[in-house]
Amino acid sequence: MLSQRQLALVLIAPGLFLVAALFLYPLVFSLISAFTRPDGSFTLEWFAKAYELYSGDIVFTIVIVLASCVLTAVAAIVIAGTLTLGENPWIVGTLKALYRWPLFIPFIVAAQCMRTFLAKNGLMNNTFVSLGLMEPLSAISFLDWRGIIATFVWKQTPFVALLLAGALASIDRATLEAGRNLGASRARVMLELALPQVMPTLLVALVLSFVTMLSVLSVPMMVAGSQPTMLTVDMAFRINAYGDYATANALGVITYLISAGAAIIYLKRGMNQEATS
Amino acid sequence: MIRLASTARAALAAALLTAFAFVLIGPLANLALWSVAERWYTPYKLPVSYGTRYWEQVFRPSGDAMASLGTSVWIAVLTVIVALALSIPAGYALARLKLPMRSLFMVMFLLPQAFPSVAIYINVARTFYQLGINGTVFAVVLVHAAHGLVYSVWIAAAAFAAVDKDLELAARNIGASPMRTFATVTLPLAMPGIIASGIFVFLESLDEFTGTFFVGVPQVITLPLLLYNAAMGGNYQVASITALILLVPSVLFMLFIERFLRADVLAKVGA
Amino acid sequence: MRILTIACSIAALMAASPLSAQTLNVATAGDQNMVDYVKDYLGPMFEKSHPGVKVVSVGTGPGDSGSQKIYEKLDAQKAGNATDFDVVVIHQKAAGTMVKEGLLAKYTDKVDTSKMVSSESAKNSLGSDVSGFVIPMFQSQTALAYNADLLKTPPNTFAELKDWAAKNPKQFGYNGIKGGMSGVAFVTGWVYAFGGDSDKLIKGPYDPAVKASWDKALGELKDFNKNVIITPGNAGTLDMLNRGEIAIGPVWVDMFYSWQADGKLPPNMKLKLAAPGMPGQPMYYAVPEKTANRKLAEEFIALATSPQVQADGIVKKFNWYPGIDAKNLEGKLDQAAWNKLFTDITPADLSSKGKSFPIAPYFNDILESYEKKVAN
Repeated sequence: MLSQRQLALVLIAPGLFLVAALFLYPLVFSLISAFTRPDGSFTLEWFAKAYELYSGDIVFTIVIVLASCVLTAVAAIVIAGTLTLGENPWIVGTLKALYRWPLFIPFIVAAQCMRTFLAKNGLMNNTFVSLGLMEPLSAISFLDWRGIIATFVWKQTPFVALLLAGALASIDRATLEAGRNLGASRARVMLELALPQVMPTLLVALVLSFVTMLSVLSVPMMVAGSQPTMLTVDMAFRINAYGDYATANALGVITYLISAGAAIIYLKRGMNQEATS
Repeated sequence: MIRLASTARAALAAALLTAFAFVLIGPLANLALWSVAERWYTPYKLPVSYGTRYWEQVFRPSGDAMASLGTSVWIAVLTVIVALALSIPAGYALARLKLPMRSLFMVMFLLPQAFPSVAIYINVARTFYQLGINGTVFAVVLVHAAHGLVYSVWIAAAAFAAVDKDLELAARNIGASPMRTFATVTLPLAMPGIIASGIFVFLESLDEFTGTFFVGVPQVITLPLLLYNAAMGGNYQVASITALILLVPSVLFMLFIERFLRADVLAKVGA
Repeated sequence: MRILTIACSIAALMAASPLSAQTLNVATAGDQNMVDYVKDYLGPMFEKSHPGVKVVSVGTGPGDSGSQKIYEKLDAQKAGNATDFDVVVIHQKAAGTMVKEGLLAKYTDKVDTSKMVSSESAKNSLGSDVSGFVIPMFQSQTALAYNADLLKTPPNTFAELKDWAAKNPKQFGYNGIKGGMSGVAFVTGWVYAFGGDSDKLIKGPYDPAVKASWDKALGELKDFNKNVIITPGNAGTLDMLNRGEIAIGPVWVDMFYSWQADGKLPPNMKLKLAAPGMPGQPMYYAVPEKTANRKLAEEFIALATSPQVQADGIVKKFNWYPGIDAKNLEGKLDQAAWNKLFTDITPADLSSKGKSFPIAPYFNDILESYEKKVAN
């Protein structure tokens, strides 16, 4: 008979093997290239170069991705909360029919939509001007950091909201009803009763969004000008312009550390909860 | 007074919903407009002339759009199967069993999403060439599955963790074997989350470009290869049409799965 | 049970036989219209003259990144017996690298049309000797595109442009250097204009000390950037011209004409090649060293670079400058199609102001100096 640990390892092994073969093994080559000179000796000069040229972009990337995550979380909580606690069937129905659509749009297409939508004379500003909500001269372009954040939030909110709504649907309705009956507003029921129960799901969805946004090339490339820009663009540029895989891999390691950081913060939190419960 | 307040509330809700619809539909409307715009430039706010010229171009006999779409969907379905087959046991182990270095394992599944892919795929292609499997659907499915595995494993783990342990205990107490408990209690209860993860794996696979290029091209050609060229080159019409075509299987897949969810799983959740 | 089904379907997939007919795989680093050009025009023509052969056209994305992907794919197959691609269409930078690393075959002596090419760029690609390895598909050029309604007299020189941009803030747009080659070409043109001897940068030899002499020019570019819009990519510049958000910006001439043909640029857009000039580059046809279909590949390129195809396909269909010498196209083309090529940019302009990109080490120095001194 297998012990529980052994059983766990057996169950996880096939998936792990796939990741190890198709990812960890090739990753080793990237790591080697990031830490060695052409002659094979150890060096940190690629990291120094990455820092010298792209320190601004590293900060820019983190800020963009964090801001996008926060806004995505807020939007997703509002949507999932309305879906779960909404009382007007018409509103709930419309919302349910609408909110998922961006999920099906690939990032590269979302980027292209946004590029023509958010521009100074794009469809959004043109609509506002036509409706008389805005003077033509006050139209501004959002094709910079705001455009990147808008695209990320637009694309990722349905993802987070879908998971969150699923989790909310499976929690015990009785507590929520009780809260409502005691006179608490729906917002309060959502934030104080429902949300704590689905926090793990929200965090999983956000960590996944965080990591996805960090690795998207097309959005920063197509939505915003390149100064400053996100690390994926810099990496592509190092490779395409200079054939410099070493610095690109160093930037890759930095990106990876950022996302591993996010993942570990989440996992730490999860373990603390397990320990206290 | 109460009536007035509720009317005001309804009006506010309607206004918010309209704004939301605009934010959501606007970019998509843009996409639809571009797909039928034959000429569109300043100072015109809407296309100068409409037509189906680009639809004809995408669907021309030599265009292979439908064949590539078929390949894309086939690969995406296989990817979902592989990913779920791997992630259901892994997710269960991560959520329910005592596992040493659990966080490390979790982060490992996150890796393929996190690390920028080009450098990785070159080396994967190198290995696959040695094995002689480059250019097969199988190779592409493996790469897509490794990439999508984080969604399925993480979400499956969360779904299993959310299943009430008391229900499992109850099943065990009335004499069900562990396997039977898993199959009749735990798995059905976790199913909504697992199915949601399948949707994401499907979508990830359907959009994937870089990995397909390195391990599939030129024998395996998927629709995103066409989309990628058109979109990066700013060919809005062709890119919009391709995106709209990709929308069809995604939406069908979602609807199919939702029906399955309602009929089968949700009924058991209450029982 | 489930595992078994999967295993079976996987086995079935693996057993699926490769394509039975002879296949010629053509990989193109370029926009969709270039991929379609092979798919719809060259491919069928070649299949007709070679029964039993099927031409498969794959695109790898526009710009240097597309060429880099082809390079990476060939590099990954270095150890194997045969490459996946039989003909590749690539940019200059990748051509140099691929020749150096022995990934390309020397084939042009087998193809007669190579004698119709006398341009320097067929022998020298950014300082690398590529003679024998490549034949140009077409020649492209960067220029300033401007909206003639908004801008009656476009700047004739870079110096005039600098003054104009200061007086008309946010009316000039370019895509920096990370968003594609039209922005890179503009920066290169700027260095040619204000950074000293451009001939030395184009012809070499390389002297690492030269880059210090660009400091002033790049400092001015940094000031200039305050008055301009940094657009998202090659297509982004054209996009903003489309919506009238900028009045002028650097573009690739071939893209410009494609966009105009697709109804994505106002009809009154024009091109201007400002003095002292901006760079252009060809797209090359090349054959991977390890192709299994070398003979077919050579025949394909011979067809693609034949005068009639160059006249009908390259010039008439797309308004691109032909890859082979223009005199070979005489009599194959009506005068109107020929003249349309030179509506805005005259042949005289082209020969005096159509420059090459600098040799690779200077090229990298320009880009890296820009990253250090202008962008950061």
